[in-house]
Amino acid sequence: MSAPLIEMQNVSKDYRGVFAVRNVDFNLHAGEIHALLGENGAGKSTLTKMIAGVTQRSEGEILLDGKSINFATPAEALDNGIAMVFQETSLVPSMTVAQNLYLGEEKLFNRLRGLYIAAQQFLSSLNFNVDPWANVSMLGAAQKQLVEIARAVRLNARVIIFDEPTATLTPEEKHYFFSLIERLRKRGVSIVFISHALEEALAISDRITILRDGELVASDTTDKFDRDSIIGHMVGRSLSDELFYHKHSEDGARKPGKKVLSVENLSMGSMVRNTSFSLYEGQVTGLFGLIGSGRTETAKIIAGVLKRNFFHGGELRYLGKSVRYRQPHKAVMDGIVYVTEDRKAEGFFDQMSIAENIYMGDIVTNPPPGGLTTAGAQQKITEEWSKLLQIRAINPNAKIVELSGGNQQKVVIAKSLTQKPKLVIFDEPTRGVDVGAIAEIHKVIQSLADSGIAVLVISSYLPEILVISDRILVSRLGRVVEEFSPSDATEEKIMYAAVH
Amino acid sequence: MTETAARKATGPAWPRLGLTQETIVFFIAIAFFAVFAVTLPGFMASDNLLSLLQNVSVLGILGVAMGIVVIGRGIDLAMVATMAMSTAWTISLMNAGTDAVSAVLLGLGFAAVIGIVMGILIAYVEIPAIFATLAMSTVIYGFGRLALVDLDVIYVPEDADWLRAISGSVSGVPLPVIWFGLVALLAYAFLRFTRRGRYIYAMGDNYEAARITGIPVRPMTVLQYLLSSVIAFGAGIITASLLATVNIRVAQSTMVYDVILVVVLGGIGLSGGKGGVRNVIVGTVLIGILLNGMTIMDLSFTLQNLVKGAVLLVAIIVDSFVNPRDEQTAQQGDI
Repeated sequence: MSAPLIEMQNVSKDYRGVFAVRNVDFNLHAGEIHALLGENGAGKSTLTKMIAGVTQRSEGEILLDGKSINFATPAEALDNGIAMVFQETSLVPSMTVAQNLYLGEEKLFNRLRGLYIAAQQFLSSLNFNVDPWANVSMLGAAQKQLVEIARAVRLNARVIIFDEPTATLTPEEKHYFFSLIERLRKRGVSIVFISHALEEALAISDRITILRDGELVASDTTDKFDRDSIIGHMVGRSLSDELFYHKHSEDGARKPGKKVLSVENLSMGSMVRNTSFSLYEGQVTGLFGLIGSGRTETAKIIAGVLKRNFFHGGELRYLGKSVRYRQPHKAVMDGIVYVTEDRKAEGFFDQMSIAENIYMGDIVTNPPPGGLTTAGAQQKITEEWSKLLQIRAINPNAKIVELSGGNQQKVVIAKSLTQKPKLVIFDEPTRGVDVGAIAEIHKVIQSLADSGIAVLVISSYLPEILVISDRILVSRLGRVVEEFSPSDATEEKIMYAAVH
Repeated sequence: MTETAARKATGPAWPRLGLTQETIVFFIAIAFFAVFAVTLPGFMASDNLLSLLQNVSVLGILGVAMGIVVIGRGIDLAMVATMAMSTAWTISLMNAGTDAVSAVLLGLGFAAVIGIVMGILIAYVEIPAIFATLAMSTVIYGFGRLALVDLDVIYVPEDADWLRAISGSVSGVPLPVIWFGLVALLAYAFLRFTRRGRYIYAMGDNYEAARITGIPVRPMTVLQYLLSSVIAFGAGIITASLLATVNIRVAQSTMVYDVILVVVLGGIGLSGGKGGVRNVIVGTVLIGILLNGMTIMDLSFTLQNLVKGAVLLVAIIVDSFVNPRDEQTAQQGDI
């Protein structure tokens, strides 16, 4: 094999003494698709950000074509042909798709028509179904991701780094994305892609590198790996049996208890269309749907998170009473909690400690005597829930932002569970969570149902839906269209019901 | 983790001291104090020190009120207008022969209504706080001038001894300082030890998360502006007592920016969720020392404003050196 295009030698990055990446040797060859895998907090993003000039290394050497580089800004990296597509979108929300695509290249007088025609042609050449006239703020997460990818491709980079490119894409869009990177490779572009989806990595990559706790644990051609060995490298133990590839139907699905919530003909704009379903005590109901199927919106209407003026019609009956929550406060007091899919934006309080985050949930539904908070109560409830959810933190008074994604998610879950809910809605409970924490979060969800609580789990990850649900609902274009029992559900059947 | 590795990551050793904006400002204040004490004749005179304390007390009380709002990611630009008009109404009612208790209750009620109206505009109508309070400050001034008071300068009635007594002194300590201490202590206890105090931090930290957690964010917003308006009324009464007059033109002065300066200087970030009463006290002390020193030096008003602005800039610059915004804090949306 020829000399690598990018060679990292003994590279480390530390944040005030905490190593995010330590002594890594990473090679990227010209024209290869290189998958970078690892649990959350393993250092994948940091490693690639050092290549793309987003952060700077603390120690070691990075060589590009044999010459040492140290880019101070992403712009400098881009000039040298290295582009990075981020998980969090870096588009300008108030501009149109076309304007975003050509951002930074405007002439003094832009021919708008020409701009849009060029954008349209370019997007269709990639098979991306995005309207160049659309305002970016109006796009869904998946479409934003497509624009982001298109922008990197357009800049003719030699190296493109994708940070979780497929997390928000539908299967169809994923298919186009994979054929796109295949074409890019043929043009000699090197691709690094960070992913949690192991099957994808195995299917499309040429080489796989696995990081654990900031260190490189394995790097080889893809044919040397299989699913189990990757998971083994990622977590240092073999977890796959515990995880997705068993069905819990030996003892059968749980029988439904009392009806807790019924949704009748609920509608809201174009996102939720006349949907109806029910949730029962002591059962985990899985709700599967592709992006844009109105899953999150339905959940947010139930929990009062979405504002009333978007509420178009239908009825919610909770514990036999008709309810219409306008703020989450009332819903939480009545025992409905919503665990968000976006913990950073609406899950935790980033300037507070782990303990303060957990205690915040408790004091809402369980007012302390005299309205006075106490350190003792905070400590007690934190200890209790840290143990139940296996939150691994050295110090409960550390800030929550110092935790890994999985532990942050557990804190957000703990905050909601302290509120003694009767109905818990989990929206993508394991998104951006490492493999070890996924199993633990699944265990918590099961134990909630065992204790008689009604649980709704929204997920776009089929193996997750199959393994944790006692009942599976499939949502398509804003309404629940099908229901399966786990014993006769298969990935194929569910996907068939979900696609349109 | 080795000590050397930790050093390498943060550069020089001094950031390890745990300096925050609060402590930096505190040290700057001490430095100013020392310099003034040596160079300015009469600065260390006990009369001057007492008047220094007395003069900053009102600013400090307003700072505490502003702090409560800013921690909850709001801002109250109408605070000085509320203070001036509610107090002016109370005093002119007294001048017109209303008994003191009713006059005070009416003034207090007026301030409370202003606070509730602002809170409703911000929480329920969802107008950004900066616009709602800016507009309200003009409305309050205009309404007060039209309907409540006839003159721009209202004198405290001769027979209102109780009002004069508010700014008296107890065994040498000026009472306004004690009021400031009391307000600060109550606010500290409220923010630190009560459930609702925590709600305010949570709302300033992450409003959406606070909502989803089930915090009654709308009533809590109203409570914040209610508190700030009521405290502003108290500050107004103390001012009236100190000066024996109420000058409602203060509503149109830059005083509200001094209050914001105190809050920001002390280290309560305008992005919310950060800081506490201690920060207000530190900010107040620095501004107090600075204003007093500059008055003794007989600097012009314009020059004083320039100095205040420069001090704020220095504090922010030093803070950005000591607490560098690295990529990780940037990801969390640190401002």
